[in-house]
Order: sequence, then structure tokens, then C-alpha cells
Amino acid sequence: MPIQINTSVKGKEYPPYRVHVERGKIKEFARAIGDLSPLYLDDAVAAAGPWGDIIAPPTFAITFRDEGADTGVLLRDLGVDIGRILHGEQEFEHFKPIRPGQTYLCRGRVSDIYEKAGKSGPMAFVVRETIVTDSDNEIVALMRGTTVVRL
Amino acid sequence: MQYAKVYAEDVHVGSEMPPLVKPPIQQIQLTRYAGASGDFNPIHQDAAFAKAAGMSDVFAHGMLSMGFLAQSVTDWFGVGTVRKLGVRFAALVRLGDVVTCKGKVVAKHPSVGGTRPSLVDLELWAENQKGEKVITGKATAALVSRT
Repeated sequence: MPIQINTSVKGKEYPPYRVHVERGKIKEFARAIGDLSPLYLDDAVAAAGPWGDIIAPPTFAITFRDEGADTGVLLRDLGVDIGRILHGEQEFEHFKPIRPGQTYLCRGRVSDIYEKAGKSGPMAFVVRETIVTDSDNEIVALMRGTTVVRL
Repeated sequence: MQYAKVYAEDVHVGSEMPPLVKPPIQQIQLTRYAGASGDFNPIHQDAAFAKAAGMSDVFAHGMLSMGFLAQSVTDWFGVGTVRKLGVRFAALVRLGDVVTCKGKVVAKHPSVGGTRPSLVDLELWAENQKGEKVITGKATAALVSRT
């Protein structure tokens, strides 16, 4: 018997939250992926590089989380257990590099929810979009992620 | 050190990305990625939890494979060149899997007026050791001119 999810979550906007990017988190993230570019890991090499400091790898903004807007909140809103979800799709668009020591503002919302039959049964697709801006109020990145719920 | 690894003049429609072969997936990497990313879903850490959720074992975070794919582009074109990256997670990556990232140039948009970088569109995918696609996607990278 498939479960029901709370589709009224579509359109919900989460409270904006700020994230401060720590130098060590960029390095920890690059190392976890096994990407050992000195432009992520070596302060001295990066200081002489195009940005004058290390920058974050392309998928780093996925670490921008907040207790008021994370997947746990989404799951509670939907009424879904964490064991039922899979990551379906993910997109990033970058406008400026993400730098250590900077504080960014994240604004997220649930942009779409739809259901369809998957190979292994009915699925719901929940699309979340997050806009990341910097202290100059300029857009730094856009993220769009699709969470698949096994109903 | 050279930062622009590849210039706009160096790539053309059909140019193939050098494949990036990552080491076999180990549990410790999934634990490190959980800590680094903040994604502590136990389905990537705890075999008993994964089995109770109907999976055969733990499996890798999709975002880890996406990180590999991003690395394959920056290894080729240079850090800071990725303007867009979008993927679909096609199959689970399991412990012991060897993920190989591949790609090719599908479009090139020359610099307008010579002051902005050229934009290069890539088709990307990653395969496991059986040749099954585990992730498919596309990227747009900004490449400067040699001159």
C-alpha cells in the first residue's frame, strides 16, 4: 500500500538562513571527494592564483544547511521517513566563486511536487530551489535538487 | 603553475574529456563525505538501516558521484571554470564500485567581442566497473582565450 505525502508543501518558502564558509570546511569537502587541487587545499599556492585565496569546489554549496530548512524539515513536512528517499537530480549554476571567510544568505523553497510510476513502484518527486547571495546582495549560486520518495 | 589548463581554442565539438577513474568506494569515504557535506542519512552508513529500508546494503551519496563529475571537468579545464552543472542520478553506487567519469564537448559558444570567456557545453556521465551509467548530466564551462 503506497504511502501518502503532504503535497501542500509545494510552494513553501523556508526561512532565509546565513552560512559562514570556513576555510577548513572547503578543504574537508575537497578531500572527502578526493579532489586534491591546490586551489582548494593549499593557501599559499591559491594566494598566488587567480582569486588570491582558495575557493570552493563546484558542488560545495550542497553543504549550505540550516536546521530550519534542511532535509529533515522537508521530510517532516511531507510526512516521509528518511529511508524512503533518494536523490534524483541536482543542478548548480555558479555566478561568483564561493570563498572562505564569507557569509552567504540562502533562500530555499519547494518549487514543485509531482508523482509518477517508477520502475519499482509509485514515486513522488520533490523539487527544491535555493538562491545563494553574498554580502553585496549579488547572486552567487542557484541550486535545484530533486528528492525522490518511494511511495 | 598554470591555471587555465585548457584554452577556448583547444577544444571543439566532439573533444573528449580525459576519463577520471576514482578509487573503489569504501565505507570510510562515505563517512568522510557525510561529515564534510552534513548529509548523515544512515542509509549511507549503516547496513542494517539500509536493509530495513529495502536496499541490499549501504550505497554512496549521489552528491559524492556528482563531486567526482565536477572534479573531472575541473581536472580538464581548471578550477573555477564550471558555470553550470546538472545531473540525474541513474543508478546506485555501491561499496567497491569503481566510478569512471567521462564526457565530451557538445557545443561551443565563442566569446562575444573577445572580452568574455567562451562557453563550452559538455555532456557528462559516470560509469561503474560494469560499464553501467550511474550518473548522467551536462555542464557549461567558461574558457578564456589563449591570446
